[in-house]
Amino acid sequence: MPRYRVQFSKEGPARFLSHLDLVRTTERALRRARLPLAFSQGFNPHPRFSFAAPLPVGVAGEQEYLDIELEKNISPKEIISRLNMVFPEGIRVKEARPVSDRAPSLMATLKKARYEVEMELSGPLTNSALQGCLDSFLALSAVEAATKKKDRQKTKDIRPGIYRLQGKVEQKKVVLEMELQAGSSGNVRPEEVCRGLLEKCGLPVLLQTCRIKRTGLFFEKSSDSRESGRTATEE
Amino acid sequence: MNPKIERVLSRVQKPARYAGGEWNAVLKNWEQTPVKIAFAFPDVYEVGMSHLGLQILYHLVNERDDALMERVFAPWPDMEKEMRQHRIPLFSLESQRTVGDFDLLAFTLQYEMTFTNVLNMLDLAGLPLRAQERSAQHPLVIAGGPCAYNPEPLADFVDLFVIGEGEEVFPEIIDLVKNYQKHRDREKFLLQAAGIGGVYVPSLYLVEYKPDGKIASIKPSREGVPERVTKRVVKNFDAAPFPDKLVVPSTEVVHDRIMLEVMRGCTRGCRFCQAGNIYRPVREKRPETLLEQARELVKSTGYEEISLVSLSTADYSQVARLVGELLDEFAAQRINISLPSLRVDAFSVALAQEVSRVRKAGLTFAPEAGTQRLRNVINKGVGEEDLLRAVQSAFAAGWSAVKLYFMIGLPTETRADVEGIARLARQVLETGKRLGVPRGKLAVTVSVSCFVPKSHTPFQWEPQDTQEELNEKQALLKNLLKTKGIIFRWHDSRQSFLEAVLARGDRRLAAALEEAWRLGCRFDGWSECFRFDLWREAFRRTGIVPEWYAYQKYDYDDILPWEHISAGVSKKYLIDEHQRALKGILTGDCREGKCSGCGLCVTLEIAPELSGGKEVAPLQGAV
Ligand code: SF4
Repeated sequence: MPRYRVQFSKEGPARFLSHLDLVRTTERALRRARLPLAFSQGFNPHPRFSFAAPLPVGVAGEQEYLDIELEKNISPKEIISRLNMVFPEGIRVKEARPVSDRAPSLMATLKKARYEVEMELSGPLTNSALQGCLDSFLALSAVEAATKKKDRQKTKDIRPGIYRLQGKVEQKKVVLEMELQAGSSGNVRPEEVCRGLLEKCGLPVLLQTCRIKRTGLFFEKSSDSRESGRTATEE
Repeated sequence: MNPKIERVLSRVQKPARYAGGEWNAVLKNWEQTPVKIAFAFPDVYEVGMSHLGLQILYHLVNERDDALMERVFAPWPDMEKEMRQHRIPLFSLESQRTVGDFDLLAFTLQYEMTFTNVLNMLDLAGLPLRAQERSAQHPLVIAGGPCAYNPEPLADFVDLFVIGEGEEVFPEIIDLVKNYQKHRDREKFLLQAAGIGGVYVPSLYLVEYKPDGKIASIKPSREGVPERVTKRVVKNFDAAPFPDKLVVPSTEVVHDRIMLEVMRGCTRGCRFCQAGNIYRPVREKRPETLLEQARELVKSTGYEEISLVSLSTADYSQVARLVGELLDEFAAQRINISLPSLRVDAFSVALAQEVSRVRKAGLTFAPEAGTQRLRNVINKGVGEEDLLRAVQSAFAAGWSAVKLYFMIGLPTETRADVEGIARLARQVLETGKRLGVPRGKLAVTVSVSCFVPKSHTPFQWEPQDTQEELNEKQALLKNLLKTKGIIFRWHDSRQSFLEAVLARGDRRLAAALEEAWRLGCRFDGWSECFRFDLWREAFRRTGIVPEWYAYQKYDYDDILPWEHISAGVSKKYLIDEHQRALKGILTGDCREGKCSGCGLCVTLEIAPELSGGKEVAPLQGAV
């Protein structure tokens, strides 16, 4: 069955949708688009589509990915224009291209995600102080973060999953850019990094003002790069 | 998005409730649209967006070039806290404008337990609560919906009430608002509005009381104001405006599907039921119309389910044909058809079976009372055999769970009637066992609510059972239903008590309502928010005895707080029905062809509209 990889953004009011809301909204948009959808088997058939990685409520996404299965080939241009006519405010499709139906799922090949995080400052901070803070944070051999699994408090080390961390001070805000581990091998959440920066290095930020945007998703290079998703080298 | 609002949204639960931007939401040019209306649903988004009336009015108003409608819902307590802390006034979802900027703030009153939310929303909008303290710079506050049939507890807070079907009255109010914008004289506007059929302006009526607290008189205070306001109804319902687009919520709501209104009204005549009286007469749409509307809605919404809604869909004359045609047309698109309410009979089960090739989750039946005697009193024409046959066919068809709705505290109820509920539930369970429904799966849920005497029903004169009585009956049932396979659910009798107070209240309740709101009462219908202690305190402080309202047994010649509001059904008929109830005499459904003389059709110059069904000749001279 023809499969298409669709790149979209989720911003504005759509930012406040949960992943489940996005699934629901996408199903209805796909139906409105009157595309020849492929349906799942079973008692309660649903159109077949899947996302690369869920976006938490309140987190915007600039370059998100979604695979859609159709029963017939449709030109990517047509897919883009039809979807943009039916998605609600804040969801925009930017790209679509066919992928092999044997290509591994987006979820399976996802490796890392890039985020842009804005926070208000709780005290004065210069760019060089920020840099010092980030450097000392990255120099830590381990950063424990609390996780909650089935009501049991646990900790995990997030340091190995922090691949890049940069930042600058802008007026009364700090803007961080980070690349973090994502996908089936493990997930580091940007909030965990922010909390670590505050607790371990005393970065003067107000965590509750944190505004997150996911700006990129990176996938493992597939052997057949023509049909893979965006690869780690691509952006 | 407004950055201040956006920031707050990152901190509240379910921010999608307030974010707007849903598919089919209408954002019009503010400057170029003369009349601006905020439609306010005084409950949380998920409940409000499940309300078909909102979608109908939203469409009706936004179709006009000279008016716009935006939506606003009651903010959940976490959001309220943020809004107050950051001085964000109540705002509409579409343009995120403050509600105070609109010309009209239109509330829908679907249940009494939202009244404190109405006050809270007025306050969050920065408006004075009391109508007389508002001026031309404030929006006009109007309210409609079933609770407007006894508007008195809200009389001091609302400028005008719409009695009856909004589709009829709204266009006329909009026209009058355009006129008001020229003169800006509130009083003149209200006086003119009182001349529109179905419009009730509470400030233009004087209520006097007798020494015993009952009402002595309700009279218009000005010339030209009608003594009684009679509801408005849509005639030729088949051609009534119906949205070809619905706002599709992005987040999950209670009824998240296409709501196709197959008919309005129900004349089965259950004597406790307010809806049965206020939505009379029965008016059906033609299957062709419905099919066409379904087509449009499927295209414009992308929903995967169509629900055939009405007060009693199995009664729709053409229901089998309609279901068949919908299935034929939409099965290929994997669109499900669903029926929200079932009659207690095998026909309904067969229908449910036809539409649900898929889920066999659970079926719901409402016998309402546990014995034949009491079912006759309430005019629920359901026999024990009907119920058993219905559940039999349900179990045989593969359902393993059924839900039974009952009411306790009905007039004339005795211990035997309460025990009858348990007996019936056990019989249903036995039926399931006998038909071989697997033990682990077989489930009979018995859901028991407390009777609340409502205005405009034959039981409007009846007192509510005391809380003690209700609690005893619940305890008895709890005991009798301790059986594997039966799940017993009951309603908080304190909430039902408050509901009765508000449903039967008069203007004097305003003080208690306001005090309860000040003390922090919100979302009284939500058990996690309900604060009976605060309500008690509010009554104590204002010197109002709530029991006086809930437990009052009225005489036929008493003036009821809603005496000046007419649902079109004659008082004589309601008295007759009350008498017949006490004697256990059944009254037929006029859709079968024989008018039972409720007087409505004569008063409103209308007749039942049955699609391909019988003609009903309303009795003359019945009023
Ligand atoms: S007047 Fe007669 S026909 Fe009309 S609604 Fe009443 S009972 Fe039915």
